[in-house]
Amino acid sequence: MTDEMKKPDDLRIGVFVCDCGLNIAGTVDCRAVAEYAETLDDVVAVVRNKYTCADPGQNEIKRAIEEHNLNRVVVASCTPKIHEPTFRNCVAEAGLNPYLFEMVNIREHCSWVHQREKEKATEKAKDLIRSGVARARFLEPQIEEEVPVTKAALVIGGGIAGIQAALDLADAGHKVYLVEKEPSIGGIMAAIDKTYPTMDCSI
Amino acid sequence: MMDVGRHPNITLYSYSEVDALTGFVGNFHITIRRKARYVVESECTACNDCVEVCPVVVPDEYQQGFSSRKAIYIPFPQAVPSAYVLNMEECLGNNPIACGKCAEACEKKCIDYDMQDELINIEVGVVIVATGMEVYDPTELDEFGYTRHENVVTSMEFERLICAGGPTEGHFLRPTDRETPKTIGFIQCVGSRSENRGNPYCSNICCMNTVKDTLLLRDHYPDIEAKVFYIDIRAFGKGFEDLYKRSREGGVKYIRGIPGEIEENPETKNLLLTVENTTTGQLEKHELQMVVLSLGLVPRHDGDLLKRFLTLSNTVDGFLMECHPKLKPVDAPTRGVFFAGCVEAPKDIKDSVTQAGAAAARASILLNAGKVKVEAITSRIIEEKCNYCGICARVCPYHAIMEPDRKAKKAPVVIQAACAGCGTCAAECPQDAIEMRHYRDEQYLAQIEALMAERPHEHIVTFACNWCSYPGGDDAGTARLQYPTSCRLIRTMCSGRVDEDFVMHAFRLGAPIVLVSGCHFSDCHYIDAVQWTQKRVERMWNKLERLGIRPERLQLDWISAADGQKFARVMRELEEMLKTVTMEEIKHTMEVLSNGKAEKKATAAKKAKVKKKTPTKKAKVE
Amino acid sequence: MPEAKFKCLRCGHEYTGSYTPGTPQELTCPKCRSNSVRRLPEKKPAQKD
Repeated sequence: MTDEMKKPDDLRIGVFVCDCGLNIAGTVDCRAVAEYAETLDDVVAVVRNKYTCADPGQNEIKRAIEEHNLNRVVVASCTPKIHEPTFRNCVAEAGLNPYLFEMVNIREHCSWVHQREKEKATEKAKDLIRSGVARARFLEPQIEEEVPVTKAALVIGGGIAGIQAALDLADAGHKVYLVEKEPSIGGIMAAIDKTYPTMDCSI
Repeated sequence: MMDVGRHPNITLYSYSEVDALTGFVGNFHITIRRKARYVVESECTACNDCVEVCPVVVPDEYQQGFSSRKAIYIPFPQAVPSAYVLNMEECLGNNPIACGKCAEACEKKCIDYDMQDELINIEVGVVIVATGMEVYDPTELDEFGYTRHENVVTSMEFERLICAGGPTEGHFLRPTDRETPKTIGFIQCVGSRSENRGNPYCSNICCMNTVKDTLLLRDHYPDIEAKVFYIDIRAFGKGFEDLYKRSREGGVKYIRGIPGEIEENPETKNLLLTVENTTTGQLEKHELQMVVLSLGLVPRHDGDLLKRFLTLSNTVDGFLMECHPKLKPVDAPTRGVFFAGCVEAPKDIKDSVTQAGAAAARASILLNAGKVKVEAITSRIIEEKCNYCGICARVCPYHAIMEPDRKAKKAPVVIQAACAGCGTCAAECPQDAIEMRHYRDEQYLAQIEALMAERPHEHIVTFACNWCSYPGGDDAGTARLQYPTSCRLIRTMCSGRVDEDFVMHAFRLGAPIVLVSGCHFSDCHYIDAVQWTQKRVERMWNKLERLGIRPERLQLDWISAADGQKFARVMRELEEMLKTVTMEEIKHTMEVLSNGKAEKKATAAKKAKVKKKTPTKKAKVE
Repeated sequence: MPEAKFKCLRCGHEYTGSYTPGTPQELTCPKCRSNSVRRLPEKKPAQKD
């Protein structure tokens, strides 16, 4: 399998290690991790930040891309569920295809869950970055397909929430289909006499 | 409500359900089933002539069964659309000989016994799910005797009994003797905040609903003595504490403690409550003429189909899971889908309205933009490797792959717009002839090699899916649940992406334990891709066993996004298992798997078996 | 529905349960709640233990 692997020849990977204040640096020895990242093949720049997601951190990424002519970016910080879009945008702003970015989670999956095992957490962070860099070597630029959005909305459920959502969208000028299971809209709200906190009628 | 009926931009399909829903962000295709109402909605003037002649009398569900309605009826006076509906199951028959009185009475001739369900196809760009919740059924809480004692009513029934438009026209009466009670008790948290029966969560609205009820009683019947039995009073919203204070100052007694039992006096039909007052520590008895159970809210029981259509999942409480609890609270994990109201979690009217506004605004962003970018993670067939077996087309949960033509040597084709990127096809392809954009095989193999490069025998290689088990790990982190450091995690979009090659490669390089994890079957974000994960893992257990490797070393767990507890527990359990794997065992595995022959033999043994079962010709390439 | 022997590959617990042939289902060990539950091959139930 390994011999089949093809990776671009001219790899220039930048690794950005985030302290996340003390969220990561309080457990993981980020300096040691950054130093380790420098030893990895194809890594040409390593930057450590207090908060990589903040503007100064993002500016560092953009500067490093330009200064070191990076063609792959690895950020070791929090879960991609939060900041993957942030960093994809960031590298795109620096002129790199957003799919040449890879994220390594050393917070939710490392520093926060191994708070009493600092050394082992540091080793784990190194392993995860090594894995992220290995994946980054094989990243390719991708072009996202753009699809049109049909200019209409479906609201399922005609209780108070569905009614309000339908009215707001309709008032904004959009076509709305409101589907209600029962013979009338109103939902549970319609069966309530007075409602708090204003103590007025529900209908 | 009236505004909806007359808004030029709104098409209202009442008495209708979503029959089918396919597509993706910006391009949803929906089939709506408009159930036969047997009354032409546009013609009906709600004149009531049909109701007067209808001979069928049934309990009125709007009035909680306290009064009756006819088989042809309008749900309530302010209903929108203002049109009658005929319940065919209650009707004496759509045979006019049997009855047909209503059709006779209808001047506009808008009653049509032969009306059929109508299917309507629509195209939309966004979907707002506002299917709401249900009210908890207190039958299982036998100690409150809801089914035995007539004067024990639910909070929903109370609403109808106090309402001017209710069965008693606003005269508050108790069911047994139709007299206004002099004493009344409210029991809080019925179906909520209980680990044993009902639900563990707080239903949000019931405290304030009871406070409101006591104020209503005080306004109409200042002499009624009201007692509220509670665990905590949660009056957290704007103006709520003020209402609570008014209720207390108005003489309502708040007693901290939930009654353990309600008995009925057979003669007076009064109720005797036994309760431990947890403020004083005393056991108290209260005789009351009426008791109201303050019911919690539960997820809808009929939401599964819609969940499937939109590939949505639940949080542990059964309500729908949002994209991110703080940053994207009204977005569903599926793009182009938004939540409004109680379908996401129990909430009151104000919060429902707020969330509905937010959902409408979020949806407007997409509608205004008019186009949306789709993540470039779809699958691609490598034609020169393909042997036209067609497995990919069969396993695709989205039917996004068109069958190959073996005779014409035409490889299958992936419909890019329909592919969601789960990677099941790539994992199942026996020829490795499918490549996932951005998540290619070589990337995973490289990651495994990197993780196994140092001290492989100490590490648990964990595959976690993007939607449930990976965020489940995040949840463990957010909650600072501590677990052993041995886990080395690799993210896949779906557990269905985890190729046998990945697992075997990890074992080949010295992994003591490999964990495959994904969404629970009911939560799978790729319709049913997870079933292929299960099948594949079962296949791998068999293969490992044939190779003389303990199947126990390959582990499987379904971990939901909100279940950090389970993620941490699994990691602790696997750490214990890790200790049972000896270095000799690992070495043996590495040798067996590095020696291609043994592995091939095991695969061949399996294939021979398969061949016996299915006479399909295997391609010559093998 | 046919019955089969299941074995939890986490805690080792073995039990008998029913299953739907051809339809993979989510299996949970009644003892340790793990999902690493294997339906044992029918041919050799007596071989182990």
